[in-house]
Amino acid sequence: MQKVIGDFIHALRHHGLPVSPAETLDALQATQLVGLDNPQTLKTTLSLTLAKSLQHRAQLEELFDQYFQLQVATENSDAEQEDDSQAELDAKDSDTLEEQNNSQVSDSGETDAAEDSDAGQLMQSPLGQQLLDDDQSALQIAIASAGQAQGASEMQLFTQKAQVSFRIMQQLGDQQLNQELAELAQDDGNLALVESVRQARTRLREQIGDYVEQQYLLFTKKSGEQLRESNLQKIKLTNVDHSHQQQMTRLVQKAAKRLATLHSRRRRVTKRGLLDVRKTIAANAAYDGFLFHTKWKSTKVDRPKVMVLCDVSGSVSRVARFLLLFLYSLQDVMPRVRSFVFASDLGEVTDSFDKDEIEVAIAKIMDEWANRPTDYGVALDDFKQLALKDIDNKTTVIMLGDARNNNGDAKSEIWAEVYKRSQRVLWLNPEGRYSWNTGDSVMSEYAPHCSIVEPCNSLRDITRILGSLLQRA
Amino acid sequence: MIIKHKNKIRSPEEIRNNFEKLGYICSDAIATAVYLACQLQKPILIEGPPGVGKTELAKKTAEYLSAPLIRMQCYEGLDEAKALYEWKYGKQLLYTQLLKDQLGDVMKGAKGLDESVERLHQFGDIFYSEEFLETRPLLQALKEPDGAILLIDEIDKADQEFEAFLLELLSEYQVSIPEIGTIKATSRPIVMLTSNNTRELGDALKRRCLHLYIPFPDPKLEQKIIASQVPELGDELRDQLVGFVKELRQLALKKVPAVSESIDWARALLLLNVDELNREWVETTLNLLLKFQDDIEIVEPEINQLLSNMRKSARH
Repeated sequence: MQKVIGDFIHALRHHGLPVSPAETLDALQATQLVGLDNPQTLKTTLSLTLAKSLQHRAQLEELFDQYFQLQVATENSDAEQEDDSQAELDAKDSDTLEEQNNSQVSDSGETDAAEDSDAGQLMQSPLGQQLLDDDQSALQIAIASAGQAQGASEMQLFTQKAQVSFRIMQQLGDQQLNQELAELAQDDGNLALVESVRQARTRLREQIGDYVEQQYLLFTKKSGEQLRESNLQKIKLTNVDHSHQQQMTRLVQKAAKRLATLHSRRRRVTKRGLLDVRKTIAANAAYDGFLFHTKWKSTKVDRPKVMVLCDVSGSVSRVARFLLLFLYSLQDVMPRVRSFVFASDLGEVTDSFDKDEIEVAIAKIMDEWANRPTDYGVALDDFKQLALKDIDNKTTVIMLGDARNNNGDAKSEIWAEVYKRSQRVLWLNPEGRYSWNTGDSVMSEYAPHCSIVEPCNSLRDITRILGSLLQRA
Repeated sequence: MIIKHKNKIRSPEEIRNNFEKLGYICSDAIATAVYLACQLQKPILIEGPPGVGKTELAKKTAEYLSAPLIRMQCYEGLDEAKALYEWKYGKQLLYTQLLKDQLGDVMKGAKGLDESVERLHQFGDIFYSEEFLETRPLLQALKEPDGAILLIDEIDKADQEFEAFLLELLSEYQVSIPEIGTIKATSRPIVMLTSNNTRELGDALKRRCLHLYIPFPDPKLEQKIIASQVPELGDELRDQLVGFVKELRQLALKKVPAVSESIDWARALLLLNVDELNREWVETTLNLLLKFQDDIEIVEPEINQLLSNMRKSARH
């Protein structure tokens, strides 16, 4: 039973459910209590102990159906082979497996042996006999144990499915059967027999195909996705192609949500607030009850105030989409973010982010503000009028842009003013360091007025930088 | 806990049947959860929309096991002084004043400061002993000699700090009081936490609990529930009522009616001597089902449609 539940949990983890060892133990204890006889109770029990949210629960129930429908076969095989468990471990050695198959066939085939004795004598190969006996459960068992030996649960890519199916077929003794069929086919009298065995063999192949498919769905499909996701995190934002944008959107939202839950609710004890009677009396008990020291109990939710300026001009247009995406998600989860976009003119888009759906909002913004030549000077002027007075020593200002100013006036003095008033200024540049200050980039003029200047060109960079930002905010 | 009630928690089916006798109709999942919680001594975290009987489950469990129910309502700003324990400061102060005179007797004959302090030490921490401890719900649940049902209601309303503070209690069934030390449960209580999902709970808390989600009941179960709560209501009207509520739940409302609202409605219809649902009755009693004016405004023009939908699905 441990193995069954263990494998199931393994499959769960593959599908992204965070199951801890402690929960595994709980699940085992609980299953011991309720037993394995009633699938419905077992399902409820496992979802009580292993799934800790509604979404996970739905996933678990779906996987449960998939897994245990298949597991019925393996379960039987475990039971039958218990006395022979060592042999199962060595099952890679195909000789032992054939022996097992032989013994199973002789067990299960006894009843049918009488009827088919003629044919049975003709078919010498173990697989052929099994097919003639048509004992489905024995065949399922054979498939499952061969599958385990051939690593059906360890496939990496879907392209391996055919190969694994082939290997399972081989291990079951297909080659031998084939030879035999060829020999038998030379004799016309055996044609009917050969034909029926061939049909059974095709059916077996289909069964194996189904089995491998199921294993793939349970154990492998998700790992490919995980691989792709972790690659997407690292890839340069400029190189993400259209086919991955959907996935990227999801990743960005996930990252923003994680950041916000980590940091949005930190509290800081402030100096004064309500008198904490309990602590005050306790602290002054030593002075005969005279209240010398006062203790205060106010805590205050300390949420960082953030202003983000995002360059959406042509030079950064490929990255801008993702920066906006991130901005949108961030504003969704953090209450006090003000968002501005600019190419030459600058405008506030906080409202638009609040009201519209993500796709609509971004499309609107790109439509209205982008596709104009960059002018940081004008943009900063606008920013000064719009928001400079709202910047205080608790504000973090983030600039997302490449500082390519088309040789215009940089107006870095405004940026200096922003820097002076705010708690911190971050400049995230989607270009690598080596290309700063080349051509029309004026990074060096702004850099002195920033707390941090960092290149930022992958999702991982964004999450890392903003994570550290929020930690200190 | 509750070894004397071992025979009452032998299987989920038994629990379900007995709950039914007490007037709490529950699904298999709920019965299994209660069974496992008793057997494994693990807390249950109960989630679900408001009004599906989360709190009621704790009450019925207490009634069934004839154990005391200790309830703690959570809210923002709840701290250990209100949840766990508090020193009786008034009493402490009063006693110090009263005992001042005794001090002379105690000190009589002591030579020098050292000896006086030595003598004082012999008395130990009189003022920080259990005599002066005011127990709050959590501590009370631990001290209950025959075990108890501890209901921590709406844990999502409390702060994250409080959630973290609960972890020790939930996994070890003990709490630490700095002045006294660790207090272990005399008999482990059965803990039920409820949450309305106003915020995401921490993983650490979830990991320590069984997770039970109570959804809106399916029509059959809801009929059973109403039949047990309002037995006087006619069968036909009950079918109609459940069907109508089911239709309502399909609409996009601010607050969809839960089981408790259906029960209220059933009682009202009984009082009003209604024998069939029609447009007028629904209109006049709609405010029992829907708690927002916006919702009522959405539903009112749809009533005829909903009623005919209800009749259609009843025929199938």
